[in-house]
Amino acid sequence: MSAQSTRIFRFDASGCNGCDIEVLEASALVSLGELGIEIVERPEDANLLIVTGGSNLKSKRELENAYSGMQAPKTVVAVGSCAATMGIFKGGYAMAGPIDTIIPIDLYITGCPPRPQVILAALADVLHLNVEGMAELLRTPQGFRGDPHVDQDKCVGCGACAHVCPADAIEIAGNGSERRVRFMHKDCIFCGSCQDVCPSEAVELRAGRKEWFQAKDASLSEARLSVGACILCGAPYVPGAQLTWALRRIDEKVAVDTADRNALQRSLNVCPRCRRKNIGEVREAKGILASLARRSST
Amino acid sequence: MPRSQPGTSVIVFEPNLCTGCRYCEIACAVWHCGEIDVTRSRIRILFDEGRATERYAAVNCQHCDDALCCAVCPSEALQKDEKTGWVTQNSTKCVGCEMCIVACPLSVPFFDAELKVAQKCDFCLGAPECVKHCSSGALRLCAREEAVQVNARLYLSAKDDR
Repeated sequence: MSAQSTRIFRFDASGCNGCDIEVLEASALVSLGELGIEIVERPEDANLLIVTGGSNLKSKRELENAYSGMQAPKTVVAVGSCAATMGIFKGGYAMAGPIDTIIPIDLYITGCPPRPQVILAALADVLHLNVEGMAELLRTPQGFRGDPHVDQDKCVGCGACAHVCPADAIEIAGNGSERRVRFMHKDCIFCGSCQDVCPSEAVELRAGRKEWFQAKDASLSEARLSVGACILCGAPYVPGAQLTWALRRIDEKVAVDTADRNALQRSLNVCPRCRRKNIGEVREAKGILASLARRSST
Repeated sequence: MPRSQPGTSVIVFEPNLCTGCRYCEIACAVWHCGEIDVTRSRIRILFDEGRATERYAAVNCQHCDDALCCAVCPSEALQKDEKTGWVTQNSTKCVGCEMCIVACPLSVPFFDAELKVAQKCDFCLGAPECVKHCSSGALRLCAREEAVQVNARLYLSAKDDR
């Protein structure tokens, strides 16, 4: 598509209007006319569709109509978390999205909402435009939260980040012997909750974001951990890194003698199901605790 | 690590008095969850007829001094109250990392999938329901100093010098 022929139709597929305001802001940052971009009022006149919101049952048909009415070649840009994943409306009874299940999307812009500068830069990217002063516009302000990065060597794979993530952006996946912690680009709202709760300080939000992407399953960062098996039942249990972390923490805080420590180390490799199921294991565990209690009381 | 002040009590379990009625599990679940859902009970009774001896065991919190769960908790959600001797969990601070579940040899804390936090015995904040409903007296409240002796007798062999 040449720059001369860009005609944008904006479609609000039932978002909160936060992204719509940022899209308006973006169009006010530069002179669109000089860039050869025009904002049109009818989808039939447009060849680029900007969609905001996650699409509900009512807007779904309108969205389909708008897309089919557009002129070819069609380009669709999804702005904001809702357009990518339905965001905070995920699971709502009236929702029909996300958008890419209704129409094909060429570019996703992340954020809740994205910054206007980012919307402009992403449009310039997809349209191959050269906007003067873009780098200056895009510069992130001081203290602005960036992408989450997970440190493969520090991550213990406990999953606390996934539990607190308000956007369900962290995927804990994997087969038996491997656990993968993936930070999904489409969902992340850069709130920093994962960084706050990480027990091993493995997650860090670094300045400098990658704010638009094309593949929906793109991950910002991921860690792969090998999972140990329970020594009794053989089922995959927790990553070895988590056991090491727990034992180191115990060593730091509790005085444990060698015999107890060996017993404790063995019990760490038994899964909680087995620990709570076998009378022998329970008696063994109570023995460790009785020994620790005797030591504490003297 | 904080330790209990003198005069606190803990729950001890005498396996040879237990009848396996599991009223304690029900009482615990009702008090904590408002329903008879023993999967969320903070105490668990094991019974194995196949064993010649030691047929009963209880997975119940020892409210340890130098508690391992408190040692590994990264968010200070698990805390030892020195005055009462209880090890309690604060759901608003818990991040759901499951470290306590891993660290406790008994795995007393368990993961509540609905709340995405760990849950554990909180001593019913004073009068444990499991003890109240134990008709055979297998579960009883006992001074901490005495409980150390009882548990050593029950779970550590005489030559066990650890």
